[in-house]
Amino acid sequence: MRPRLHEGGLDSVAPRPGQRTGKRHHVAWPSFHDMVSRLSALERAPVFFSFEDTTLRGLARRLRRVHVPAGEMVVFQGEPGDTIFFIERGRCRVVVEKPPGAVTVAVLTEGDFFGEAACLLNRPQLASVYAQTDCFLLALDRQSLHTVLAGREPGAVEELQKLAEQRTTAFSDTSVQATWGMLFQEATVVGVYSPKGGSGGTCISLNLVGSLARRYPGEVLLLDLDFPYSHSALLAGLVPSSCLARMATVPPEPFEEVLLSAVLYHHGGSMILPGALRPEEADEVTPDLINRAVAVLRKTFRYIVVDLGVTITDATLALFDLTQHVVLVAVPELSSVKSAADALDILMQLGTPHDRVTVVLNNRTQKPAVTKTAVERALKREVDVEIAFDENRPEQAAVAGEILSLTNPRSEITRGTELLAAKLDSVHHRVKNA
Amino acid sequence: MIITRPSRPVDAIHRARGEFRKAAIRRQLQSVAAGKTDHIPADAAEPSHDAASTINEISKGLREDSLPLQLLQVAFKNSQVADRAIENLAVKNIHDRVAGARLVGSLRLYEATPWLVPLLFAKDPSVADAGARALGRIGGASSASALVAAIQRRGQNRRRISELARSAPDLFLESAIDGSDRPVTRPALAIAAGLRRRRTAISPLLKLLERGSRKERVISCRALGWIGAANAIPAIEELLTDHDWKLRMSAAKALGALHAKSSVQALQGLASDRNPRVRKAGTQALRLIQHGA
Repeated sequence: MRPRLHEGGLDSVAPRPGQRTGKRHHVAWPSFHDMVSRLSALERAPVFFSFEDTTLRGLARRLRRVHVPAGEMVVFQGEPGDTIFFIERGRCRVVVEKPPGAVTVAVLTEGDFFGEAACLLNRPQLASVYAQTDCFLLALDRQSLHTVLAGREPGAVEELQKLAEQRTTAFSDTSVQATWGMLFQEATVVGVYSPKGGSGGTCISLNLVGSLARRYPGEVLLLDLDFPYSHSALLAGLVPSSCLARMATVPPEPFEEVLLSAVLYHHGGSMILPGALRPEEADEVTPDLINRAVAVLRKTFRYIVVDLGVTITDATLALFDLTQHVVLVAVPELSSVKSAADALDILMQLGTPHDRVTVVLNNRTQKPAVTKTAVERALKREVDVEIAFDENRPEQAAVAGEILSLTNPRSEITRGTELLAAKLDSVHHRVKNA
Repeated sequence: MIITRPSRPVDAIHRARGEFRKAAIRRQLQSVAAGKTDHIPADAAEPSHDAASTINEISKGLREDSLPLQLLQVAFKNSQVADRAIENLAVKNIHDRVAGARLVGSLRLYEATPWLVPLLFAKDPSVADAGARALGRIGGASSASALVAAIQRRGQNRRRISELARSAPDLFLESAIDGSDRPVTRPALAIAAGLRRRRTAISPLLKLLERGSRKERVISCRALGWIGAANAIPAIEELLTDHDWKLRMSAAKALGALHAKSSVQALQGLASDRNPRVRKAGTQALRLIQHGA
């Protein structure tokens, strides 16, 4: 049979791996259950889960199973690499070898992957990876990846390279942090709550983190608990690889390392920890998990800004208990003002001090239907920060994956969040130093 | 006295035409790699035009996902010249098969791996070598598996082992050494792991050094030396007193490669070894450690 490379690829006519070629070379196809398990490992990985089914099947077929006993080395820092490893079962320790010692910077568990920077960016391995327990890995080599993705998923390799770049940056920062140790006192937790959807709560949270990160690069974290759809990472142009919900099953011992390894690093100096990557994962975020996570994060960062979303759940209430400051976002619309007034009542009932609540009025239209005076009358308090109409800049920034407070000083959002950051800093930094 | 027949003028003209055509194809391939055109002449797969050499020159030091190589791959696929090269892999003519394998290898056509595998089992050594080279260039787990299978069936030779070292992806050799299947290939896998010089191979090689057959121990000893596994020095040093002279010689060579200063005394003990080859290896190792050359 004449092979044709230009018509649907050679797979259509090539001797299938299950067939015998010349009675000698025999490669078995994965069984049905094996394929299911391979596919589930791929579907848990960021970027990969967005691929078409046919692409995923093609990749799953080419995965190679590798068993690494506990304590063995999987990759060594500084060596070249050509394979991405997905952890199917077990835990791996990421170690930065800095002679004479070595620092563990992350612990990777089921669903995580590593080796992508060496494989996709042609860089030496950034760190060594050791199997902490008996590990069952799925290895995807560069040739297989490029063969399957070529022509099927335009832009997929670029997306993977972007993820690899981002993880490289995050990793460098984490390793620096790991070697520095805990330099700071415990973080201030700031909850951003918008009682009505579409008020721009996520946008303000993200830009507030940007403004704070300009003052304290690498010391400000955005914890995105805007369920069921946590999009902060996406708006910042980052590709999330793990989330808080996935920490629910992590045992207490490696919890801190695993949690910190899920934090995404933005080049502007801010950090983002997504709450859930999928809507169904939101249920995994329990008050207990939030308490454990915040206890860990407070030791590492100066400010933790939590995007609380709209609905008040057990998780939101648990967070209200942990926050030192609440930012209430309202838009000059009747329903939003009414909801904001109700939310203020709830906060007062929860015992939040008056001076620890900041009301932000976000003008999403050029000519708001409700005036600022009317809003203040309804809320029975002054509006602390008013953000003027910013045209379509927030939407454009979201499309470009930019944080306005880091890129556009003229933006009204930037002005508003700078004011807010200054206010937070004046209250909490002074208190901290006192 | 040998009288050679003078070449006819028409032969010289044919030869000159061939060279002109070869140069034209070379220029054309360079243009394709530079993105100036996407046309590949239909006769580019002809063995006499040696397109593989030009592609190798262009893609030297480049990865398989580099733009020039991708442009060449697409152009070859679209012009059906790649099809012809793959067809050539199944013809009887040895030159055509070798040229096809070279072209496919230089283009790193991963999809052609299944057609290259039978070449590894060809009776003619040049065809088997060309197949191994092509698979080594293409790389990946399937190429490496095919080379391991060839080593199992046809025995180990330098070409197969070096191409296996080149094609094997991360942890392929390590897990194959550890695996219980194909024990015949373990020595070849150990050499390949040594040639790759990856530290991830140290642990499986140390296991082989402890529990392997005599041949496996000899080879893993050398491989550990090539990798520069300093943590293997105590285990290797123990072998200097083994009853098997090949193991003693291999251990001495490995310690020399590792510049094991702590083993100088043990190596000096080899000066009175009953086997002259061990004595020589010991002397050379000491020279390496003391002078670093």
